[in-house]
Amino acid sequence: MGQWFTHIAQNWSNLAVPLILLLASLVIGLSTRRFAYLVLIRWARRKKREEGKIVARIVKTPLLIWWLLLGSYLAVQVSELSSQWTALAGQALGSILVISLAFTGIALATRLLQFYLGGGRAVSQTISLVVNVIQGTILLIALLLLLNIWGVPTIPIIVILGAVILAIALAVRGIAPDFLSGLQLNTESKIKLGDYIKLDSGEEGYVTEITWRSTQIEAAEGNTIIIPHSKLMRSAVTNYGRPPKQAKEPFHFRTRLHLKELTGLKASNLRELVDRLKKVPDSVVYYHTHHFLEEHHYLTPEPPNDFSGWVSDVLGDEVLEERLASIDTFEFPTIGALRARVIGVIEEHLAKGQDLRTAPEGQEFYFIKSVSVILPTPYVAHDLREFLEVLRKITIHSLYFHIFEAKLRLQRGLNDFSIWLEDSLEEKELAEEIARLDPYTYTLETLRAKLIELAEERLAEERLR
Amino acid sequence: MRIQDYEPIVGRGTIEELRLLAARLTGKVIQNVNSTFVGGGVAEILSHMVPLFTQLGVDARWNIITGSEEFFQVTKKFHNALHGRAEKISSQDFAVFLETSERNIKESALYGDILFIHDPQPIALVRRKKDLGRKWVWRCHIDVSRPNKEIWDFLWDFVIQYDVAVFSAPSFAQQLPIRQVLISPSIDPLSDKNRELPAETINSVLNKYEIDSERPIITQVSRFDYLKDPVGVIQAFELVRKAMDCQLVLAGGTASDDPESEKVLAEVKEKAEGNPDIHILLLPHNSALEINALQWASTVVVQKSLKEGFALTVSEALWKAKPVVASAVGGIPLQVKHKFTGLLSHGVEGTAYAIKQLLSNPQYARWLGENGREHVRRNFLITRHLKDYLLLFISLDHPGEVIYL
Repeated sequence: MGQWFTHIAQNWSNLAVPLILLLASLVIGLSTRRFAYLVLIRWARRKKREEGKIVARIVKTPLLIWWLLLGSYLAVQVSELSSQWTALAGQALGSILVISLAFTGIALATRLLQFYLGGGRAVSQTISLVVNVIQGTILLIALLLLLNIWGVPTIPIIVILGAVILAIALAVRGIAPDFLSGLQLNTESKIKLGDYIKLDSGEEGYVTEITWRSTQIEAAEGNTIIIPHSKLMRSAVTNYGRPPKQAKEPFHFRTRLHLKELTGLKASNLRELVDRLKKVPDSVVYYHTHHFLEEHHYLTPEPPNDFSGWVSDVLGDEVLEERLASIDTFEFPTIGALRARVIGVIEEHLAKGQDLRTAPEGQEFYFIKSVSVILPTPYVAHDLREFLEVLRKITIHSLYFHIFEAKLRLQRGLNDFSIWLEDSLEEKELAEEIARLDPYTYTLETLRAKLIELAEERLAEERLR
Repeated sequence: MRIQDYEPIVGRGTIEELRLLAARLTGKVIQNVNSTFVGGGVAEILSHMVPLFTQLGVDARWNIITGSEEFFQVTKKFHNALHGRAEKISSQDFAVFLETSERNIKESALYGDILFIHDPQPIALVRRKKDLGRKWVWRCHIDVSRPNKEIWDFLWDFVIQYDVAVFSAPSFAQQLPIRQVLISPSIDPLSDKNRELPAETINSVLNKYEIDSERPIITQVSRFDYLKDPVGVIQAFELVRKAMDCQLVLAGGTASDDPESEKVLAEVKEKAEGNPDIHILLLPHNSALEINALQWASTVVVQKSLKEGFALTVSEALWKAKPVVASAVGGIPLQVKHKFTGLLSHGVEGTAYAIKQLLSNPQYARWLGENGREHVRRNFLITRHLKDYLLLFISLDHPGEVIYL
């Protein structure tokens, strides 16, 4: 111990300068560190740039280390150490610098990438992959620098690495477009887990997973569809956002197809028409006032019932034809009531003593009845969005069943859609809007378009909330 | 053809509905029986429908009965008589019919769960119902709105044994104690007879028969049969030709069970003799493509039948968006809604007048044609026909007016 004190006392001038340099670097480092931190933080607040705060926090401590390393290096240079020790010290200090730069670089890259690509939320697989690649690259560069500092030849290593990187690049070039597209999608953040999306090529469903290559969606039928990101970028995508509220009971779409049965009954004049009308079953009246909707709906939106058509085309009675055609089917809650009105109009006309015209042979009015076969379809709606998507797909027969048959023939009082919307989905307003529509004034396709329009408006209102 | 090939024409939903219905018939065999595999509308429609049923998963099969030339002459008389035409039918004719029927009853393999019997020729097979049970459907393709009473009464005893009778038009309905179902026939839009053709193909057919493509073409496509009134068509054409430049094409063939065709053809040729604007074309059975081309090339299509079952040629022409002038008989008014999807006429002069209207007003003609095409798409394509038959088969086990499946 005493020898140490003696050595220091004899050589104090040789030790002082390096120590002063070291202390000076510490003081400057501490000052710079504080100064740089404050400048960056203030800039970040003024410009509202969050990334400034990220940089400030990460480089705060390394900045001090780098000043200390500088001070140490200068101290070694001015000291009386041998050249061998000086070189060794330089290598050691260089190694520490490389390692600290590497860790600082990794921290900066990770945090900034997460900030720019992930928006600060939980990172997706794509971002994680990018971050891992960058971390690996920085570590690799740091390793090469360290090897270089300690005199290990790095050229052969670089050559081998280059070959490996080329081989990997060739192997993944096919999936590169998906990867890059996924990166861009993450940047834009337009599609998130749980969103309901629809592509212009028809695929639609809820987003259940986003990988670095693809986005998976679950369709209404329960299928999982895997969409490569490159396809997603090329498509026009409609994002309906988060799931809307779920119905208490799902809506099971049915369809109704019908068979026409001949009754063998016919009428050649108005008196016979009325007499038969009083006796035929409801299914006959239903057929003659409704079949036009499905069979000829492309011709006109206002369906003339068969009675008015026959009176006009065969009997040539335009006055009665007009009265029969103007019967508003929509106002009748039952077929019985509709039948009574038709009979009433004809009997009133007969009471005026009009000529009893007779139909030519072969052109009598033939009474036909409708036998409905109702069967389930695979389509089920659990919420308004699924309801809307199924509305686009169902046949006119299914639409017909839920709008016309349910209300009048099955005497439910209201169409099926309004009942479900109010009871199961608590969409009272939309239910009433649909109930108010007079479906007899639309063709089946324009009715479908109208229902879709009303449902879309309601969904848009929900998204804005 | 594959069932999914019809999807672009009728929509995915229609094909889905067919599959839903077909699934309800799993395990059932539908056995179709008629008199011939070739010639005539019945054979044509079955040749398309049976494979499609199979693709939908329905076990549908097709057999024919056998008979002598004499038997088929008798059944042709029955056919004409059911159409209301005067025919002398002797007790010998009934005897031939019953004897051949008895032989077919003994020799025919009847294995279907549903026996689907077409027209009068095999009608007597229903006598096997007592021991076989099963469900029996009689499909009548003939216009029986004014049948010869004697023949109808004879056949009535067989008809009432069936579970259901099927007719093609409302006016064919009878007073029967059994169910009667209305199912119109149909066309196959993808067949050679109905698919769209390139201009080169159409022109090559016109050139083959030396028909001038630059002048309006009036066409009737039908078997050479009195009930199709080809002579009446010539008369109507001659009235039109006095006022307007045009050509007439009468194109048709024969059915193997129709011995009268040759006689009718000879009369038509005699009537048209010396008139360079009238083209009489006797086409063999495999002329679907040529008929198609002739219809596509036509300016107006005519169907001036005196009697008709359904007249598939009308739907063929409507499918090609051609304006149609047709008689208001049989199933034609179901296809041609007057002044909306075509024009109905009631005689030679009315037919001539309607043709002149269309030749003078091409825009109106085009509007009628487009409506006609849409009407056929909705109501007279083979997919609708498949649907109706599937519904019929399902309804055999489900009585009532509203059937929940």
